Amino acid sequence: MNPVKPATSVPTFLGSQPAPYCKGCGHGTVTRKLNEAMVRLGLDASQIVLTSDIGCVGLVDPLFPGIHTVHTIHGRSSAVAAGAVLADGILGDGRMKNVVMIGDGGATIGLLHLSQAALMNVDMTVLLHNNMLYGMTGGQHSAFTPDGFHTSTTPRGNWIPAIDMEHVMRGCQAGYFARKLATEADLVDVIAEAIAYPGFAMIEILELCTGFGVPLNKMDGKALRAMAEARGHALGVLIRRADRRPYHTVYRERFPSGGEPANAKPATAAPDRVFRHRLQKPMTLIVAGSAGEKVQTAGAVLSQAAVLSGLYCVQKNDYPVTVGSGFSLAEVKLSPEPILYTGTDAPDAVLVVSVDGLDEVRGRGDVRRMARDGVLLADESIAAGLGSDRVVSLPLRRELSGDGAALGAVTVMIERSGFLECDALAQAVEVLGGRGTVSMRKTIAAARELAHVAAKP
Amino acid sequence: MEPGVTRSTARMRSGNQMVVEGALRAGCRFFSGYPITPASEIYREATMRLQARGDAAVGAPDEISALCYCIGASQRGVKSMTATSGPGWALMIESFQYALMSETPLVVVLVQRLGPSTGGATQGGQGDVLLAEFATSGGYTVPVFAPSTPLECCELTQQAFNWSEVLRCPVILLSDKEVGMSYEAVDMANLPSVPVLSRQPAVAESYRAVQFDAIEDVPPFAAVAGPIKVTVTGSAHNKDGRLRKNDPETLDVLRHLEAKVIARSSDLAMVTRDLQPGAESLVVSFGVTSRAAHEAVLRGRAAGRRLSFLGMQTLFPVPVDALRAAASGVRRVVVAEENLSGLYRLALSGVAPEIAFHGVNKLGGMICPAEILEAL
Repeated sequence: MNPVKPATSVPTFLGSQPAPYCKGCGHGTVTRKLNEAMVRLGLDASQIVLTSDIGCVGLVDPLFPGIHTVHTIHGRSSAVAAGAVLADGILGDGRMKNVVMIGDGGATIGLLHLSQAALMNVDMTVLLHNNMLYGMTGGQHSAFTPDGFHTSTTPRGNWIPAIDMEHVMRGCQAGYFARKLATEADLVDVIAEAIAYPGFAMIEILELCTGFGVPLNKMDGKALRAMAEARGHALGVLIRRADRRPYHTVYRERFPSGGEPANAKPATAAPDRVFRHRLQKPMTLIVAGSAGEKVQTAGAVLSQAAVLSGLYCVQKNDYPVTVGSGFSLAEVKLSPEPILYTGTDAPDAVLVVSVDGLDEVRGRGDVRRMARDGVLLADESIAAGLGSDRVVSLPLRRELSGDGAALGAVTVMIERSGFLECDALAQAVEVLGGRGTVSMRKTIAAARELAHVAAKP
Repeated sequence: MEPGVTRSTARMRSGNQMVVEGALRAGCRFFSGYPITPASEIYREATMRLQARGDAAVGAPDEISALCYCIGASQRGVKSMTATSGPGWALMIESFQYALMSETPLVVVLVQRLGPSTGGATQGGQGDVLLAEFATSGGYTVPVFAPSTPLECCELTQQAFNWSEVLRCPVILLSDKEVGMSYEAVDMANLPSVPVLSRQPAVAESYRAVQFDAIEDVPPFAAVAGPIKVTVTGSAHNKDGRLRKNDPETLDVLRHLEAKVIARSSDLAMVTRDLQPGAESLVVSFGVTSRAAHEAVLRGRAAGRRLSFLGMQTLFPVPVDALRAAASGVRRVVVAEENLSGLYRLALSGVAPEIAFHGVNKLGGMICPAEILEAL
């Protein structure tokens, strides 16, 4: 019913419906000038997307019956538009010209979306209709209301200074920013330049709300220029940069398509041999140490070794919110049968390799809850702190360093108990790959030696 | 439910990683996120994998931006996803309603943690069940799926995308910290095959913004910046996408948003069952707790009891037929979930008022099989 007509057959994008705005409102003027600018640029109707916000400015959609219109929610217009532009630029043909129609309310609610779009240099154009108050809801003041201005909620005059979008946009590295009056004759030129600009462009258009701004302040549009300039808000094209490239252009260069296919299978690196396990029932091991000392990696190696040995496995990691300080803990549950409940009542082995780890297992009560025949293994520096006479004390940190202590403890545990083959650990390191492969190989070899010299404190 | 595998191609994968695997398999080409524990791994993994193929992964300055970017991308015709946790979801709700009203397909992954407020970032919870389903004003049904294993994370993400496309509506994948952040063996070379479904494209000649004959029909989709002129709005609108108040066609459009989902309730219903003939008790659960519930049932049976288990993979629309069938002839029905007062139990009571539901609830830790068995 509404196929887009080619631009050559339409001297205007405006339809026959009259603008719904109050007599004298700048919104209608801007609408006409936007249309003129788009026609002058020779845009195809199908490439234009008009994204509108909430407020009187959100009534613009039906005025342009032949072009795509997206009416959004309050303040979010520029974020929805940015998403469409990014998808079009990165994944589509990049022809989209997205023009966002927003008022001063939408601009304050959506200030983060606007600043982010400017920082990213999303290729879109924002027409900020600044009439210095919220017209549709009864003339309340906004963050754009100048000091001294009267609104329905500042009856004695506003005394908070108005936000200066030029400087907000400058701080966000916007490539193009202009401040204009709706009535200025060259607004068409500026809108056309902004739409053609390859990147984020904003025009703040100063208007006076005829419903509230005019009667409450006993002024007319002619006073707008002087009022803005008196507050240091200059008019004209204030930012025009040539040194920024649109986000999608840089993105496509950095991340060219044709990489990983849709259903990429991971490198299988299937082991040559099947490893054996001697586990008759589920078993839970806890490895506890310090953040940054590869405790969770040790858990991952153990888990992968168990999987290579035909066991079912669940690994959970725990750490304080700081991530880089305090404890780090890996809880690994192994079972010859499928695992349903992933928690554990009583751990079968607790391996503690640092003071942070000791504090954490004490707090959790792991040693107290431990199975009667459980294995308790600790670095020599903290073994006494576990308060148990069955702790196996080892010079893990001294012999294997802090980074090797956790994997060393796992290796010793397996070497001594024999429920997995230590070779499965070594194979797991190869399967996992990555930067630590060489040092983990060495750690496992050294820890196997250590396993045989372990002694009780 | 197949919580583990032991093939040589098996790798340890978290639920969060498998959400991304499922998304890519479903055709997701746009992700936007803002970090929040326990969902951050989805953000990182999606970024790495999408960028590696030249697809779009865009960091957002907040959760509202993240969802709005996804909405814009989907309106451009691209399958999109974001991921968050309770506090981020709270911010997204208005934009989510906009996606529902504008019939914009997308997937929101909500990885629950302990609430309210900031709650416990690294503590599990299942407290967002109703916040997810009933975040929309007006009484609309939002499809919500809840995985309990990494494998289900993959499959249900694919299902979430498929249903969001088929229904042209936003769909929520309701995960939780324990499912999202626990690593488990997954046979990556032999993942189950799920067909890829996409929104029906509109034809120019017959296009209206909201085209349906029967109220439950799903309107064909046209992308912005495409050859068919598109009119989108989040305000009440007629079939031309124009703002209207209370005229019959507008009310039809509003009813249609619900009807298109409800009409497909039985197809949307996904459950896992382990029912025992003549069972005295049934436990109903979802997400991580359903695993403890299933184990409780197996332990109970080993001790000579007759027990049934029903795991809900689809939370909403409630798989009410499966629920009634499982509860038939059972003396006691227990709903196990990790929140204070039994949120899903409340929803079940609403759709099956003839069943007397009992709750097993807990805060701040996983419910264990013994606690469920005690209630059965």
